[in-house]
This record gives sequence, C-alpha cells and structure tokens, in this order.
Amino acid sequence: MNRIAAGIVVLLFVAACGSSTGGSAQGGTPKKGGTATIALESELHTLDPLDSSLLVEREVFYNMYDSLFTIDPSLKIQPGLVTDWDTSDPMNYKFTLRTGVKYQDGTPFNGKSVKDNIERYQTGANSRRKSDLKSVASVEVVDDSHVVFHLSKPDATLLATLVDRAGMMLSMDAVTKGGANFSLAPMGAGTGPFEFVEWKRNDHLTLKRNPNYWRSGLPYLDGLTYRAIPDVNAILSALKTGDVDIARVIAPKDVASIKNDSNFIYKDTPAIGFNGFELNTGAPPFNDPAKRQAVAQAVDRYAVLKNINFNIGVIAYGPIPPSSWAFDSSEKIYDHADVAKAKSMATGFTFTFKTTSDPVNQQEAQLLQSELAQAGITMQIQTEEFATYEQECANHQFQACNVNWSGRIDPDGNTYAWWHTDGSFNDSLYSNPQVDGWLEDARTTADESKRKQDYDNAQKQIVQDAPYVFTTFGVSAQISNTKINGFVLYPDLMIRMAGVWKS
Amino acid sequence: MTAYVVRRLLLMVPVAFLVTIGVFMLIHLTPGDPALIMLGEDRTPQAIAEIHQQLGLDKPLYVQYGIWLGRLAQGDLGRSITTHEQVTGAIFDRLPATLELGIVSLLWSLIVAIPLGTIAAVRRGSLVDQVATGITVAGVSIPNFFIGIVLIFLLSVSLRLFPFGGYVPFTQDPIESLRHVLLPAIALGTAGTAINMRFTRSSMIEVLNHDYIRTARAKGASWRRVVFVHALKNALIPVVTIIGLQIGGIIEGAVVTETVFTWPGVGRLAVESIFNRDYTVVQGIVLLAAFSYMVANLLVDLVYGWLDPRISYS
Repeated sequence: MNRIAAGIVVLLFVAACGSSTGGSAQGGTPKKGGTATIALESELHTLDPLDSSLLVEREVFYNMYDSLFTIDPSLKIQPGLVTDWDTSDPMNYKFTLRTGVKYQDGTPFNGKSVKDNIERYQTGANSRRKSDLKSVASVEVVDDSHVVFHLSKPDATLLATLVDRAGMMLSMDAVTKGGANFSLAPMGAGTGPFEFVEWKRNDHLTLKRNPNYWRSGLPYLDGLTYRAIPDVNAILSALKTGDVDIARVIAPKDVASIKNDSNFIYKDTPAIGFNGFELNTGAPPFNDPAKRQAVAQAVDRYAVLKNINFNIGVIAYGPIPPSSWAFDSSEKIYDHADVAKAKSMATGFTFTFKTTSDPVNQQEAQLLQSELAQAGITMQIQTEEFATYEQECANHQFQACNVNWSGRIDPDGNTYAWWHTDGSFNDSLYSNPQVDGWLEDARTTADESKRKQDYDNAQKQIVQDAPYVFTTFGVSAQISNTKINGFVLYPDLMIRMAGVWKS
Repeated sequence: MTAYVVRRLLLMVPVAFLVTIGVFMLIHLTPGDPALIMLGEDRTPQAIAEIHQQLGLDKPLYVQYGIWLGRLAQGDLGRSITTHEQVTGAIFDRLPATLELGIVSLLWSLIVAIPLGTIAAVRRGSLVDQVATGITVAGVSIPNFFIGIVLIFLLSVSLRLFPFGGYVPFTQDPIESLRHVLLPAIALGTAGTAINMRFTRSSMIEVLNHDYIRTARAKGASWRRVVFVHALKNALIPVVTIIGLQIGGIIEGAVVTETVFTWPGVGRLAVESIFNRDYTVVQGIVLLAAFSYMVANLLVDLVYGWLDPRISYS
C-alpha cells in the first residue's frame, strides 16, 4: 500500500473538515485496564521493521517497538531511546541513550544494541532499510549510554529517518531466538508499551501490556487487538457493531454521518501526504510541458475536494503539506481552474489516465475527465488491478497515473524520491538540474531556514513544470467510539496507543 | 474395488501435473511484480533487483517451474513470498476455518433443500412448489457477496443479532463459533441450496413415476414411507453428484464470502496472495483446490455404489 496508489488509503481522507484538533486529547482521569480493538485496512506482511514496507505495519510497530527518536504532534523531533543529541559536527552525530531501559525479553538496551540494530538493518538479506541508512558509515559505541553515528556524507534527514523503522530497536536475543519465524512472532523483541502475543494472519494480531515499560504508569490498556478489514464499508460496519473500537479510515462519504452520531468520535488533523496524479514527461503527449501545464490549469481542485473528498482535507498546491515546517503558503501557482488559460496553453489532445477500481478513484477519474473536457482535453480512463497498475506506473508505461503518497516527516521524503533525476519514485522521468541541485542541497544542509529556501524553490519549479498534478492533502483522523479517551492525533497517520484509555 | 480406487488415485497425478503447469504459467504471465508490491514505498532499483534474484524471478520461466516442481516432489511447497511463512503451514492454518464454513453451509443447504425439494415434487404445482421455485430462482440469481452484505446490514449492523465477521474456532467455543459462522454459511450456501432443491425436485418427480413406486403403493405402503424410504434414496443420485462438486468447490466458493465476512480461511488467503502476486502461495492453494475436486469426485463415485447397488466398480 505504501505508495498508496489508488488503494483504500487514498481515502485517507484527504483532508480536513475544518475540525482539526491536532494533538489534543480528551479530558478525564485515565483509567487502567481493558483492551481496544483497532481496524487495519489491510493485512500485515511482517512484524520485523527490517523488511517492512506497509503503512499498517508501521502503525503496529509504533506500539511494540521504540525508536531512537520520536515526534510530537507538530512533527518536531523529540527524545525517544535517545535522550540528548549533538549534531553540530555534520559528519559525526553524538547520541546519549536512555538508561535503565530493558527489552520485553529482559535484555538491556544499550550502545551495543544500537550498533547491532543499525548493522542488521544495513546488511540483512531482506532489509528494506538499506537506503534509509545509506549515509551512516558506522556506529561507534562509546559506552553503554553513548554512541556516535559516523556519516559518509552530511544528512539533514537522518534524525527523521530514525523516528521511523530504521530507528526501531529490537532485542538481538529475540531476533536470534525467533530465527526464520521472527517476522511472524517477535516475542519480547521491543521496548515499547505493548508486547507481542500472537498473530493469526487474516484474523487478528494480539499485543499485551508491557508491565516494565520505561514510561512509568503507561500504557493504560491491558492489551490491543488488531483486525485486518480490507474494505472501508466493512470497517464502518465493524465500528457500528462494536467489533472494533478504533479505525483510521472510513469512506469520505460516511464521515458526516459518523460526526453526527453521538456514539462516535471523529477528529482529524492535516496529514503529511499528498494526492493527485503523475504525468509521464518521457513520452507523448506529456513530453510537451505546455500540455502538462494545461492539464494542471484545467483541473478544478475545489470540485475534487468537495465532491470526492466531501471537504475532508485541504487543497494541495505542491508536495509539502501545511503540517510541515517547510510548507510554503505563498505558492499557489495553479489555484482555481482557468479553462481559457488552459486552452491558451494547449488543447485538443488526448491522454489515458490509469487508476484502480476503488470507487473513490473511479469517481475522481470521472470528475477529472469532465473538467478536462471543458478545456478541450480528452481523458480516457483505464482501470486496472492494483499490481498491474503499480508495475506499469513504476516502469513508465503510462501517460497519467493516479498515485498518492502517504508522506514522510521530513520534506525530503515528499520530494527527493519523486522528482530528483535519480529518485526511486520518479515514474514521470522528470529531470531538472536546478531542482536536483536544490534537493541535494536541502539534504546536506543543517540550517533549517536554508533548507526551507531550497524546498520553496524546488517546489515552485516542480509545480510549474507539472510532472505531477496536485489536488488535495489528506488528514490523519481519529475515528472511534466514545469509550476511547486520551487519543492524540499525529499528522503521520500512526495511531499511538500508550496514552489511550477506555472509560 | 481397491484396484479401482488405486487406479483413480494414480490418475490424479497427471491431472495435477497439468494443473500445476496451467497455474504456474497463468500467474507468472499476469502483469504485476511481487517485488514492487513487497517494497511498496521503499522501492529502489537495487532493492527490486535484489528481490528478483532472491526469488529466482530473474531466471527463465521454465527454470523457475522446474525448481518449484523439484521441491514439490519432495513435499515442499516453499515459503510465501510476502510473509516468508511455509506455504503448507499457511494453508493448513487457515483450512479449519474454511472447512467449518464449508461444512456448515453445506449442512444448511441440505437441511433446507432436500425436504423442500421432496415436498415440491410430491405436491407439484402447489403453493409450496411455487414458493420453492421462487426461492430457487432468487438463490441462483443473487450473488453470494450481495446476500452477505444484506445479511450483515440487517442481522449484524441493524439488529445486532450476530457479530460482524471474525472467526472463533469450534474447538475453542462451539456456541460463539456457530454464531460467527452462521451468516457467512448462509451467504455461501444459498446458491447451493437452490440448486440442490431443484435437483431433488426433478429427480424425485422422475423416480415417483417408476413402476416400483406404484408397486410399493399397491402393496399398501404409506405415501410417507414410499417417498422417504423407497423414492428418496434413488432420487438422491444426481443430487450427490452436485453435492460432490460443491464439496470440491468449498475452497473457491469461499473466496468471495470469506472476503466479505473477513473470515480467515483459505479463500481469503487466495485473494490476498493473488493481489500480492505471492506466486508460491497461489500455486499451493490451486493445487489443493484441484486435489480436493479430484478426491470429491472419487468419493461421489463410491457413494453411487452405496446408494444404488446396481452400480459397481471393478
């Protein structure tokens, strides 16, 4: 799902309803005990951060494993298993580790453990973390509570990377004991608030409270049950029958009814991903920039937001969302649709738009089709099964492809891979030496204001060149029954359960 | 008899062999790359190449097939591409759920179909017959996923009589297990019910016209005895054929129902594995499905002999 192509997550509701309450939790005195059931919109493939690639996996991991760093609801880097850090030397990051922390299997967390974990991620046969940790040359253990990350080149994104899976610390004893089945049953492997009990694939995944969790008094719940329900309508049914307590996604059309139902809580906050579609700059008709710009100019984003997303979310003008420190509120190159202007750029051409059979994607495609028709642009819709569509988009066998992005904490994650000439997601074959320069500079510069300037420049140029037509930014939502308290919304879509309690 | 069974069992080998070639080619020639699915948002050209090499996907198709067949001959279906679990384990973990769903849906269809079909045949043209015919048409026409959604909406979401989806093993809590299995079983069994009823009815009508029925009646046997003892057993032969096919088809019949009801069975595993292009798991499941069809067919042939002693095998 990751590249949430046109999958369910597209609905990640894309945006905000105007009722953003990011970060706030409900009041009352927290109560211990009880369990919560959480709906996942697809089944996991692995419980090992090493070979994980799904959003739903990360969601579970954040409740089992601790990372070296965490974020707060405003996406600022906060201490995790690292309590103090000195990044003044861009080639040598010095980290002070939290002391007295034990893995759930009883083994201690220390400097050696950090080194072992990073090396495992860098060299593991199935590791998907290699590119995350490319800038790390080695980890030096100073003592039990101090490590130094020696970098091969400056990397301003490293701390944000270590919030995610590449920074999740696992007990090496547990990894060894688990052997080939570790990714299916990581017994006692984390230091997080909950520990693994059992995973009956396609049915449920159970976690129980970690009684020795280092954040005293937490978690409140005795356990968590995750259920994979791969259909947004079925997730809504399960919420209504009480079979699940919390969900992250329901269909945008159902949000209003849930908000008006006193049995449920719905809140959202702007997320970090973007929605829209990519245009292939390497083949006709979109090797002609004027045709790309005509499409970007003719799309009515407000109609997409209103009719497809039911006003959940906000308009997207570029890849960096309002939740990010690098958001540029002044960049509105393609704001309202302007048919006359679009026609003056290019008109009278035809292209094919690839998408999946998801109902929301289908509706969006039809809406775009009718909008573009007004500018004399003929858009043909080609619906494909997900795997086929993903392969064709990745291999540049498309003219337009409906692909959304779940987003990353650092703006680098929303730009470099997509529009740098060598980016791994550059399906559009976009190449602009100036943009490459800005993106590279932002990667290696520590100064945030300098980085922001780079991203402002890169974003303007990318939007102007239109290898991707941005439509909306999604939201991160709490959708639960009223028994759930203490829920804190994070823009990264992850549901963190340590502070949640049930009344 | 034993020789017959052995011969039939041996015949399964070439059939299974042809099935494996068909499945292998079909899934590998379908567009879509498991490496892309596995990597998701973490795809880089190096990572894709590494996975292709690890899975042997960079080798020619016939070589890949040869390797897979070689392992199969040793009883090894390999490991899942997506989860790395043993394919055999993955399938057998989910088999109890699928079997429970299949058996309950079959029982449901028989309990409803055979008595109703019999009554409809005996009272041809009556109100019961017309209602039964109506149910048949509806049951065959409405797809089981739709019946499933309607059942969930009415009995689970609105009336809260049944839980939504999920599975409780029968051995763990029989009552809860039945509460969970009932809706999916009805959704899955409805089409079968309709067909079984129709077959029972037409076959019964034919049997009731035979001379021996008239003889039995002339000897003074009651209608009830004639219908249920003399006629039904003979009328069931075509029904058994159909039921045999239905047993063989439990796995693929459950594909849609298991998805609608989030039932953790082999059908849902199949759907997910196809979407993920998890070649090894798909091949394992199709092999199992083909095998269960062949075994069910064999059992049906053996049951014929029991139902009608004139049929014998040598």
